[in-house]
Amino acid sequence: MTDKQSLFEFKDIHVAVEDKEVVSGVSLTIAPGEIHAIMGPNGSGKSSLSNALMGHPDYAITKGEAYLDGRNILDMSADQRSRAGLFLAFQYPLAIPGVSVANFMRAALKSHRGKDANMSDFRKLFKAEMKALSVDESFATRYLNDGFSGGEKKRIEILQLSMLQPKMALLDETDSGLDIDALKTVSEGINRFHSDANGILLVTHYQRLLNYVKPQHVHVMMHGKFVKHGGPELALKLEELGYEWVAQELAEKARV
Amino acid sequence: MNNPTVNKTENRDYLIPEMAPELERGPRWLRDVRRRSREAFNSAPVPHRGLHLWRYTDPMTFLVDRSQVSDTDYGENFGAVEKIVREHVEHGNLAGVVTDLAGREIGFHGTEELCARGAVVTKLSEAATEHPELVEKYLYQLVNSACGKFEALNGALWNDGIFIYIPDGLVVEKPLHLLRESGLSGSAQYPRLLIVVGKNAELSVIDEYGGGSLDESQPSNTNSAVEIFGLADSRVRYVSLQRQAPGMHGYMTHRARIEQGATMLTVPLAFGGAVSKQNFGVILNGRHSESSMFGMLFGSGYQRFDNHTLHHHVSGETTSNIDFKVVLRDKATSAYTGLIRIENDARTCEAYQENRNLLLNSGTRAETIPELEILNEDVRCSHGATLGPIDPLSIFYLLSRGIDEAEAVRMIVSGFVIPTLQQVPKNLRDRIGSFVAQRLEGN
Ligand SMILES: Nc1ncnc2c1ncn2[C@@H]1O[C@H](COP(=O)(O)OP(=O)(O)OP(=O)(O)O)[C@@H](O)[C@H]1O
Ligand SMILES: [Mg+2]
Repeated sequence: MTDKQSLFEFKDIHVAVEDKEVVSGVSLTIAPGEIHAIMGPNGSGKSSLSNALMGHPDYAITKGEAYLDGRNILDMSADQRSRAGLFLAFQYPLAIPGVSVANFMRAALKSHRGKDANMSDFRKLFKAEMKALSVDESFATRYLNDGFSGGEKKRIEILQLSMLQPKMALLDETDSGLDIDALKTVSEGINRFHSDANGILLVTHYQRLLNYVKPQHVHVMMHGKFVKHGGPELALKLEELGYEWVAQELAEKARV
Repeated sequence: MNNPTVNKTENRDYLIPEMAPELERGPRWLRDVRRRSREAFNSAPVPHRGLHLWRYTDPMTFLVDRSQVSDTDYGENFGAVEKIVREHVEHGNLAGVVTDLAGREIGFHGTEELCARGAVVTKLSEAATEHPELVEKYLYQLVNSACGKFEALNGALWNDGIFIYIPDGLVVEKPLHLLRESGLSGSAQYPRLLIVVGKNAELSVIDEYGGGSLDESQPSNTNSAVEIFGLADSRVRYVSLQRQAPGMHGYMTHRARIEQGATMLTVPLAFGGAVSKQNFGVILNGRHSESSMFGMLFGSGYQRFDNHTLHHHVSGETTSNIDFKVVLRDKATSAYTGLIRIENDARTCEAYQENRNLLLNSGTRAETIPELEILNEDVRCSHGATLGPIDPLSIFYLLSRGIDEAEAVRMIVSGFVIPTLQQVPKNLRDRIGSFVAQRLEGN
């Protein structure tokens, strides 16, 4: 590993779903202020990795280590990981009928701060964040993701990100399902959140998000492994050529 | 529990004696019905366990050995609840409070104004003599010995009850709160309620059942009967809140009948008792009448709930909807049977029914039995049921935002019952919410 300062670091992570290994030994170190992107074909294990790091009950980490700010997160329950500063914007956010967006947000903030926020402070903050993400105020009283469109769900995920201000944000295909304007609004939201102190790991299929949110490092995932690392130019090349050449390159390397 | 066996019905103790003083209460026509009800009860066999609606509860649970029924003592909590409700009257949140001690002593608090506007809120015993034209016409029309043995029991032995009449066109904005307190161990009570809501009139009633035995080894018994009539274009909301003490055996039959253009909202809420068997039914008797039910029960410990609902479409162009929610923890059990009956000449009806059961741990058990008796084709009807634990992925979503597991469960369960809570008058909603919270904390 490099000796650079680490905000979030995982080593040799293996993930199994229903006893099937879907991530086979991936490692990454993210320094404060860095933005990384993971790209890779469908089914290569990107979501499995993000979900497992967050503590999803269906994704078991069978081997490996993961540290946030030097603290071992694999010993922690999902809620502890969140309170320690980890955040995952889900690829497919779940609907929670009967729980309003506002109540949910308030409970989440309370858990992070250890105490209930003053109601009017909360309202102010919440309204401001909704406005910044062009989320209509009526969403506050709607049930979380219940009947939301794909793009609305993604916006609400980023609303949560900006309210909770985690140290490390995993954003799993936050750009999918967004129309052109929404992509811009959401990207701006991510950029507003981003600072020298926090880190972002984006999972995406498309360059269009990376035009707004600019990663320093791009990693290619295939068959549960990181097979290539590069800078922003790697994403452009993938956009142009797809994954075929990466696979060929791998095959050639294997022959050598 | 040491259940008596069925052959105990041979024991005369389970029969209504000829000299039961209640049989002598009321004018002649009423005494006649009481006597006929007694005969019906005494001659009806105890329902067989295999029979419809008795598969999940032993009928012996609701038979009372008369020799055990002593004078009724009341529990302590009544004073406290009465105080809360009186405060509501003073703060103007309610149209009045009626207290009912063990179906015997009925008291009225703050109902004068309502009565001055032409409503009648009085003891059923008084109404029987003072408003015979109403009481004779409506009492026993829906809940009577033809319904079954236990309805006959109430029909014979109710001592006193509550009578509410809202004249045509009167809109009662605030809810009327009825507080029924059961007697302690060994007692039996037969509360009875008759409500007639006139044409184009409007009424909300909260019917709250509390108190009773704390100890199931010495249970007390409540057998209640509720009859509600909604005349043409009336709007009625009826909330039943059963939060009786842990040693209670409760049996309740509710029937409402609504006429043309009338709407009826029924909200059965149950939290209490050792065994609670409740039957809520609405008969849609006039075109464009509409009935909805939003139910909720939360069982914990070893509580047993056995609920039935009925939507009976007698008239065409009627609409009904049921959303019945069940939450169980510990070893609690629930059986829900929901019958939709649509008559042959009741064309163009819509009827929906949904029963969802949330099982918080593995020792619980829930049954859901939808029953459809649809005698014509020209209807839209659907029913659905779900049964299972909280989705672990819902929990995970909340956890992933830092919310701890207990709070996540609390939020999801509260969300689960919210459609029902929203039907409850505002001043009651917080109390119901806190019952849910208490049950989740294990009290
Ligand atoms: N809950 C699950 N149950 C069974 N198999 C799963 C589950 N989740 C993921 N998998 C399998 O694990 C593999 C990796 O899936 P994953 O969702 O991590 O891919 P991905 O890289 O995120 O793909 P995409 O780009 O389509 O989102 C796939 O073969 C998938 O079918
Ligand atoms: Mg994915």
